[in-house]
Amino acid sequence: MKAGLPTSATITSVRKLTSDTTLFALRCDDPAAAGAPLPAVASFLPGQFLELSLPGIGEVPISYCGIPSSDGTIELCIRHVGHVTIPLQNAKPGDAVGLRGPFGLGFPLKSYENQDLLLIAGGLGMAPLRSLLLALLVERGQWGELTLLYGAREPGALLFLDELLYMSQSSDIRIYLAVDRRGSCLEGIPHCRAALLPALLDQVMLQPERTHAALCGPPIVYTPLVERLNQLGLADERIHLSLERRMKCGQGRCGHCAVGTYLCCTDGPVFNYAMLKGIEGALV
Amino acid sequence: MPNTITEQNLRALIDTLVKDGSRVVGPKAAGDMTLYEPLAGGTELVLGVLPRRSAKETFFPLCEDILSYQKMEGKMTVEDIDLSRLPSTVLIGALPCDAAAPGILDAVFSWDYQDEFYLERRKKTTIIGLACTKSDDACFCTAVGYSPAESRGSDIFLLPLEGGRYRCQIISDKGNLLVERYKSFFTDEEGGNALPLSQPSMEKLDLQKIREWLENNFESDFWKEIAERCVGCGACAFICPACHCFDINDEGSEGKGVRRKHWDACGFSKFTNHASGHNPRDVQPQRYRNRIMHKFKYYDDKFGQTLCTGCGRCVRACPVGIDIAAVLQEIMKYEL
Repeated sequence: MKAGLPTSATITSVRKLTSDTTLFALRCDDPAAAGAPLPAVASFLPGQFLELSLPGIGEVPISYCGIPSSDGTIELCIRHVGHVTIPLQNAKPGDAVGLRGPFGLGFPLKSYENQDLLLIAGGLGMAPLRSLLLALLVERGQWGELTLLYGAREPGALLFLDELLYMSQSSDIRIYLAVDRRGSCLEGIPHCRAALLPALLDQVMLQPERTHAALCGPPIVYTPLVERLNQLGLADERIHLSLERRMKCGQGRCGHCAVGTYLCCTDGPVFNYAMLKGIEGALV
Repeated sequence: MPNTITEQNLRALIDTLVKDGSRVVGPKAAGDMTLYEPLAGGTELVLGVLPRRSAKETFFPLCEDILSYQKMEGKMTVEDIDLSRLPSTVLIGALPCDAAAPGILDAVFSWDYQDEFYLERRKKTTIIGLACTKSDDACFCTAVGYSPAESRGSDIFLLPLEGGRYRCQIISDKGNLLVERYKSFFTDEEGGNALPLSQPSMEKLDLQKIREWLENNFESDFWKEIAERCVGCGACAFICPACHCFDINDEGSEGKGVRRKHWDACGFSKFTNHASGHNPRDVQPQRYRNRIMHKFKYYDDKFGQTLCTGCGRCVRACPVGIDIAAVLQEIMKYEL
């Protein structure tokens, strides 16, 4: 089989997270032989992405949302907004899709060792950051303080709320949540206030010389977040952002995901802010 | 030592190549236009005209299947395209600006991921380049480091001589193989004097300086001024020998069909658009800037080459008269 051909996978579970967002679990149809490593597409780093295709409809880039699992299960958190993801609203366990990947560079876990980590997610940006978060918790001893700031439009749009509240009960991590909409009912949601995401940074005491920030959110949140992080003393190189672009080939040829001199598919999608700083329109 | 070939023999060579099962592609009359198209025989070869579109589709077709799929019992099966069926090809009469382009594109199609579709066609194609005797005022090959006599990229290079002959220069092993195999079409004679080649008038550009300017002027108002007129039609990209952006789409039903790769253009307004509605390059100046940056900076940063051979096609094709060579000359005037 040629490198880059999609491999057939089957949806194994479907969990509606909100009215427009679903968490899918999938498994490749040709599992690796016993003892062999995982199928390539099921072996990935947090922050990487794959290309998911529906036959006859098309292919779209989707971030990994979980961590590699020994049985090859892949978790993808998908918002139903586009030509491929809208038909996926009706997908059921047993349905077939095509997968190619993994692509891109993920979060630089190596440089995170013994460092305090500040994860900041906005909206659907929680999907790739959940992958990072789970990977960090698996090897909790490797890192310093772990903090998650997560904001969404309204309480009902907070993804993985049950998981996050469960995690927040342990001392492994501190979690602060925000919803944009004033007057939202926050009953039963501890650690949550009605505020815009950057305001959560006021609650955090960080030691800039030993902190890395990992951000993923809609483009609109990046500029205020980066400004605020800079004010708090965090160097550009310590701020990692995951960019969204329209990666079509995933392999550095098709030109769709160019961000200045970089290609989101091969140089990103996770970039440190120092790389992006001079590129107008990279963040917005 | 085979030195020359007559025009008559060149046409006869095409007949023989076709008879031997090769696909022969060369400039051919197509309605009012001349295009690089498969030739049925030597008489179809049109000499002395720059084809309307470049020769890149010989290697990178406008549209091609990259896989076929079928859904059976709920599972998706994917099938490879059989590349062994791609014919052995001779691209004949490619002008220097077209013959040089594949050598530039090799980099992007093999730097990380190996694009087997492109590479297989490259492997199976022999390029017979032809020195250029007829330029127009849109040509600027000499400004970007090429010339009407540039043999770079050709496997065999033909230089027109007086009296309907061509001097053959064998550039590569592939070229040598072809000449050896079809020796009888060539003669050892020296031939007459070379015909005068075209002389594009534009002065050589300092591409290094342009690159440095681009490096520092991503946010210049220059882009707004230059691209105000651009209507985003994409014609410049489609007729360019070096533009390589493509899209991938499925054609067929949910149960059965093909996935296809086809040309795309960074000038199109939806080129970078996301399903969410977010569009990182949402106004035309940003898109035009990307076109210039990609050709004269990004590609050079990555692969050490400029993504332009100065064929001038985009200048001729632009419906609103944007002249890329004039844009580069304008950049040359700026202080770094």
